[in-house]
Amino acid sequence: MEPFEYAIKKDVRNNPIVREVDEARQREMWKSVGIAGFLVAVLLFSAWQHFELLRHGYQIEQLQRDRAAEEETTRRLRLEIETLKSPKRIEALAIDQLHLVAPSRDEAIVIERVVPTDPPAKSVVARR
Amino acid sequence: MTSPGPAVWRDILRRRVVTIAALLAVWAVGIEARLVLLQVVRHGELMARAERQQMQTQPLPPKRGDILDRHGRILATSVDTDSIVAVPKEISDAKDVVQRLCGALGDCTPKDQQNLVERLSQPRAFAYVRRQVPQDQAQRVAALSLDGIGSVKESKRFYPNRELAAHLLGWVGLDNKGLDGLESAYDAQIRGKAGTVLVHTDARRHAFSRFERPPTSGSSVELTIDEYLQHIAERELHAGVLENRAAGGSAIIMNPHTGEILAMANEPTFNPNAFRDFDDAERRNRAVQDLYEPGSTFKVVTVSAALEEKVMSPETMIDTNPGRIQVAPGRIVKENENHNYGVLSLSDVIVKSSNVGAIKIGFKLGTDRLSRFVSLFGFGHPVSPDFPGESPGIVWSPSKWTDGALASVSMGYQVGVTPLQIVTAVSSVANGGEYVEPRAIRAVYRNGVRYAVTPKVVRRTISPDTAALMTSIMEGVVDADHGTAHAAKIPGYTIAGKTGTASKLVNGHYSHSEYNASFVGFLPSRSPAVAIVVVIDSPHGPNRYFGGTVAAPIFKRIAEPTLRYLGVGPTINPPAPIFAARHDETASPASDTPANDPVVSLIADGEPGTLPDLRGMSAREAVRALVKLGLNARVSGDGVVVSQEPAPGMPLEPGALCRLTLERSPRRSKRAGPP
Repeated sequence: MEPFEYAIKKDVRNNPIVREVDEARQREMWKSVGIAGFLVAVLLFSAWQHFELLRHGYQIEQLQRDRAAEEETTRRLRLEIETLKSPKRIEALAIDQLHLVAPSRDEAIVIERVVPTDPPAKSVVARR
Repeated sequence: MTSPGPAVWRDILRRRVVTIAALLAVWAVGIEARLVLLQVVRHGELMARAERQQMQTQPLPPKRGDILDRHGRILATSVDTDSIVAVPKEISDAKDVVQRLCGALGDCTPKDQQNLVERLSQPRAFAYVRRQVPQDQAQRVAALSLDGIGSVKESKRFYPNRELAAHLLGWVGLDNKGLDGLESAYDAQIRGKAGTVLVHTDARRHAFSRFERPPTSGSSVELTIDEYLQHIAERELHAGVLENRAAGGSAIIMNPHTGEILAMANEPTFNPNAFRDFDDAERRNRAVQDLYEPGSTFKVVTVSAALEEKVMSPETMIDTNPGRIQVAPGRIVKENENHNYGVLSLSDVIVKSSNVGAIKIGFKLGTDRLSRFVSLFGFGHPVSPDFPGESPGIVWSPSKWTDGALASVSMGYQVGVTPLQIVTAVSSVANGGEYVEPRAIRAVYRNGVRYAVTPKVVRRTISPDTAALMTSIMEGVVDADHGTAHAAKIPGYTIAGKTGTASKLVNGHYSHSEYNASFVGFLPSRSPAVAIVVVIDSPHGPNRYFGGTVAAPIFKRIAEPTLRYLGVGPTINPPAPIFAARHDETASPASDTPANDPVVSLIADGEPGTLPDLRGMSAREAVRALVKLGLNARVSGDGVVVSQEPAPGMPLEPGALCRLTLERSPRRSKRAGPP
């Protein structure tokens, strides 16, 4: 007779068993996540800073070029003003176009001789 | 078919993982190896290459400082201009490029074109096409967008007043270096120091950051020159040279108290903006570089020495008969135009400009004393550091002075002087005997701070008493009936001066047709505002060649507007000062009028919008009141306002003209009441 084989299938009911939360691991995990997030944030911030720096670098370069151009324009305009104010030119305009004449000795009266005082030997002056 | 067991599956998985890990490891090792190669082994080489490509060190040229007149008006300034440059290696067809370039430039000569083709055909990395071109030319070239052609900014010097004070200012070369005049003398200060800039560029060569060592801007220099007086001096000198058909001339206006050069004019002149178009003769500063024998103007030194050494007094009589004197064996000196002045006082030797008299004074003084005064008056050595290339003049060593030389020096021959030396010497008479160093620099501006240059009294030449005596003697040259410089006379002003007419040395002999005519003087003589010298070289005009007929009128034409500009009133019978009561005080007449009856009335505001009563006011107060109301004033007479047109109370019209009549005896204002 063949041996009777049977198996008793034991119904293991482990539903009520709840895995115990490992608090320590959990804290470790969140810590790691936090650190990783922080590192990513730092990395992103650093990259943002870098690109902002570059962007401002370009802006500053452009502004410096603009300022230099404006300063040059100012110098040109001052040169033009001085050219137009040349006494030779003014005199030619006065005599030839406006038909003015220099005052004679009798027509000019010295009311008051104004002699401007010299500035002190060393003085701070406004930038031109 | 049976499925592989878990052990087999695990083997396969392990092999694959190992394979992938190995591949990754190889890849990582490869990367690492490459990194090591790049970062460690080739570190130096690659860093150098990166720096070359990403970082550019560019020079920052300094801005050259401005040159200003004494009122801050610009006489020289620098502005950036474009220079057209080429990279010949990048140009394939030089001939075509040059043709198009010349089309844009618009002023190429065939020779320029040929030179340019030769330059751009060479395999070089850099060549200038044309430097410092005008803006419109640069724009036309840029519009062509030619390969291998570009532009760089370069600083260019501009002189907005063109010829004005050109000889004094000098000029600047293409490399921004002062080549002559004050531009050269003060180049170290005006030029400044170059800086550098380290520029970081990206792959497109766009700069995104820079580290600068900024250039030190050049100092601006404020001259003692007055732009308007310089214009006057140049205008009148030019007219005088033309009128007298002269080869050239110089004129200097100087403040005798401070040594400040207010104007220094030369003729012929040049435009420093295009200095290459003029020759050396036109660019030479004759006033400080040209030597001439001063002739009679030098008698001021001889007579000053005689008075200072008390060898003679102004009343000492000198016999100049018979109008000639033998000064050495075989050498006879005659009076001008063969005159015989007879017996003259020492004063009249100057007034009539007697050669024989001057020689006799010189003999009485002797070599030692005269040579000492020649040196004291600044002859024989440069007088100022402000003028590069200044000639020291020629004065023989006293040990070599023979009787003939002593005679010659006494009357202004056998000495070489510059106009600057003469006017400085006469200035020392004008200011009471102090030799003040002439100067053209009034102040230097460095980093926003103004450093003033103070006057420098070098030494005393003569005592104040001698200077006063010399002044009154020199007044006679202009004022006295027999003086030689009537043409310099300006009514209302006392002028002290001395004429000079000196024959020029031509081929080793004194010429009978070529002369230097000069006049040096100061005015008003008792309180000098300016000393002026005029030297005219080789006049051949209708006024002949005498200092009194050629140079003295030019002196007068320069002096008159100068006095007007400086506000120097007449000194002969000057108008009495105008007294006007102040607004804030009760009338207290200074005259003999009753105390309760003021001489002048206070300004009384009339109805709003009407003209106030200006009668009784001084000219200054009346003009000031009119200006405040926006009206123009026309003043006639002097003293106080006695009548006005329109009359007081008339409606105001902005910009209208109000005529004021002034009289010296103030009328009592009808409106003036008791205080």
